[in-house]
Order: sequence, then structure tokens, then C-alpha cells
Amino acid sequence: MKKFTALLLAVFMIFALCACGGNSNTPEDEDTVTFVMGIDPEYPPFSYLGDDGEYTGFDVEVCKAVCDLLGWNFEIFGVNWDQKLIQLDADECDCVWAGMTLLDSMKEAGYVLSAPYYDSTQVILVKADSGIATADDLAGKTVAVQLGTSGEALLAEDGDLADWAATFKDLITCDSFLSCFSELGGGSVDAVFVDKPVAAAFVAENEGYVVIDENLGAEQYGIAFRSGDEELCKAVEDAVAQLVENGTYAKIAENYPDIVNNLIFLN
Amino acid sequence: MTLMTMIVKMTEGLSKTCAIFFLTLIFSLPLGMIIALLRMSKNKIVSNVTRFVISVLRGTPLMLQLLAVTYGPYYLFDFAVSKNKLIPVVIAFAINYAAYFSEIYRGGIESMPVGQYEAAEVLGYTKAQTFIRIILPQVIKRIMPSITNEVVTLVKDTSLAFTVSYQEMFTIGKQIANSQTSFTPFVVAGVFYFVFNAIVDFVMGKVEKRMDYYK
Repeated sequence: MKKFTALLLAVFMIFALCACGGNSNTPEDEDTVTFVMGIDPEYPPFSYLGDDGEYTGFDVEVCKAVCDLLGWNFEIFGVNWDQKLIQLDADECDCVWAGMTLLDSMKEAGYVLSAPYYDSTQVILVKADSGIATADDLAGKTVAVQLGTSGEALLAEDGDLADWAATFKDLITCDSFLSCFSELGGGSVDAVFVDKPVAAAFVAENEGYVVIDENLGAEQYGIAFRSGDEELCKAVEDAVAQLVENGTYAKIAENYPDIVNNLIFLN
Repeated sequence: MTLMTMIVKMTEGLSKTCAIFFLTLIFSLPLGMIIALLRMSKNKIVSNVTRFVISVLRGTPLMLQLLAVTYGPYYLFDFAVSKNKLIPVVIAFAINYAAYFSEIYRGGIESMPVGQYEAAEVLGYTKAQTFIRIILPQVIKRIMPSITNEVVTLVKDTSLAFTVSYQEMFTIGKQIANSQTSFTPFVVAGVFYFVFNAIVDFVMGKVEKRMDYYK
């Protein structure tokens, strides 16, 4: 029995060692720039874990194309969304590029922001049989929103939609979209206030839900770089412009029908 | 995503979970003993300072300590953040768990009757000999159940490493769950943790039994 225990421990130790050595990156070429893209790994369809277990999404594919065009090495870093700007500051990634709403507060804090590439609107997701048809029907209802998203910022006390939010019975903040949707499915909330593409993707896969789109809280997505990285930002913007021109951008967008209509460069 | 891809992906993360688990134990068990001895020091200053440190470590969330250890040096001294996230994660876990272990050790050591020290002195044992040969073996026996408690908690606490983007099993599970709008990864994670803890339970049970040499 002692031998068995020892063996078991040994197997675990090997596991642990594997993890230590697992970080061996490809040998870095001195001449090529490595561009580390900071993404939210939990934000379909912009950036998420694909069916094959690799990161994918609209933003990821565009960034890959940008790196191909500029001859940069492409790397992905999954940020913890609540701490994304700390992680950008700390040099863990070179940009945050994952369906991120451009906020004035970021500009004030000195981050270099790209031109917006996406018009985001917030929508209301409800159950089909809920009887809620317009935004005003939410008065006296319980609404869920994801922590750290633009939806949460809009509904907050000093947000643009604060007056509307004040009519709710209750506003619940969940830590992920999945928990928002689970709260809705389980009946503990009446509606979820969420980014349009996320809601569209959810409705496409799940029956019995409808989206109420009233052009609430129009916001724009962009890319954030560290302060002082104006050149890097310019390089990426120019590369994206080239991709738009040569049609690669539109080709990538074809794979993401939910968001095509809101892409600024294509409309 | 097929269940198989999901499990494969999360098993990759499991190796990192194991790395946190074992490295934390390797560092925090001895460190806890050092802290316990400092805490019981006759020098009032040393013991009070240690007491304060322990209360800070136990009184603040581990999640906050993880952030402080990982990003604190960058904000305070402009140090680069470690590319290998395992290092700050293990440092934070080891220090935090050492604080808990130290109090368990102290409880064990202080529960020994004074008569044993006196008897050892009469028999000509030095203080160090008394502690290592007579007190410590009994203490370890006595505190095993409490230690097991902490070790089991540690298995589950490894999931906190997501705060600093360390891609351990639960972090990956969360990513899959939100990317695929599916609850399955959480079920898989639950099974993984349970099996892991069943093994821990079994091993600790064996260790306890082996130390049952007085019966």
C-alpha cells in the first residue's frame, strides 16, 4: 500500500513538473516583433475558446491578419476582464482588443485608444412568454447585467441610463454572461441587459428567448494601448485599414453574421 | 465543443492546478513552522510582530493577496511582472497557507503537557533535542486532522489563481462555459476537484494510520 501511495504521489509530481516546463515559448527571433494581444477569453463572438479548444473570434482573427501583414509574431494573453488595464500596464499584453467599449475614463487615464471599429448597442433579453415588449415594461422588474461591461456602466448611478434603471425593482450584477442567462432561465430575474451580439448568439442557440432592441446606450468598441504607444496604435490602425481595402476584413466578418451590420469599416 | 475536447483542455489546466497545490505545500508547511516558532518566541517584540503579520494574512482575502503579490511590485517599484505566473501565485498561496499552518502548529505545540519538558530535562535532553525528538512527533500526530482540513481547502482554493490570469483548470472551465454558453465545464470541474480531494483524503488517511504507532 505504501508503494501505491508513493506511486500516486510521483504521478502528481510529474504533473506538477509538466506545468512548470510547459511555458517554453517558441525561440524568439531578435528581429521580429512579438505582438501580445490581450483578450477576454469569455466574450463571444469577439474572442472566445472555439470548438477545437483554441482561442478564436472576430477580433482574434483580425489581429492575426494584422500580425501576418506586418510580419509580427502573434501571441494571445487571456486577461481577467476586471483587471484588464492593470494587466496592460504591467506589460502582460500590448493591447486590450476584445469587444472593449471605449470610455472617456480610459482616455483621461492616459491610454492610447484606436479609432472605433464597432457600434455596439445594448439590448434586453427576455423570455418569449414574459409579456415584456418594450424597455418601459421593465419598470418594477428585476434585471441582470454583467459586472465590468458597458451595460453595467450605463445602468450605474451616474450612468446614461440611470433614470431608467431607477424604475427597476432590482438590478443584479453577475460575474459572467452565463450566470446572467442562467438567472434569466431559472426565473430569478425578468430580463438581462446585454451587448447585442452576445444576446443574438444566445438566442440563435436557445429557444424561448427574444431580444428587445431599442437602440439603447449606443457605444463604440475600440482597442486600448499603453500610454506612449501612439506609434504602435497607428501601425495597427493602418494595417486594419489595409485589410479593409484588400477585402480580408470583410471575409473575416462573413463568419460572424451577428455583428456584420455594426462594423463601422464595412458600413 | 465536444465533451472530449473540453476534458482534454481542462486536464491541461489540471497540471497547473497540481503545480500550485504541491509547490504551495512544499513551501508553506516548513514556513508555517518557522512562523509558529517566531510567534511563540519569548521576545515580546518578535512575537507581537509575528502575531500582527498572521492576523493580516488571515484577515485579508487570498484573492487580494494574489493581486498584491503579482502586481504590487510593479506598481510600487516598477518591477516587471513575472512572465511565469506560477511564481507569484505560489508565493501568495505559500505565505497565506503558512499563516494558517503556523497557528495549527502552535495549537499542537502548546497542547503538550509541561511534564514532558520536565521529564526530558531530568533525562538530560537539551532543549533542541526535546523539541525535535519528543515534542514534534507527538504534535504532528495530533494536528494531522487539522492539516488535512487545510490541504483539502487548498485544492479548492487553487481556483482563485484566475484573478491573475493563470490558466489553471477552473479558469479554463470558466472560459469554455462562457464561450460555449454551457454549464458542462462546471460539472467537469466539480468532478475533477472531487476526485483530487478523494485522493488527498486517502493519502492523508494512510499517513495518519501510519503514525498510529502507540496503539
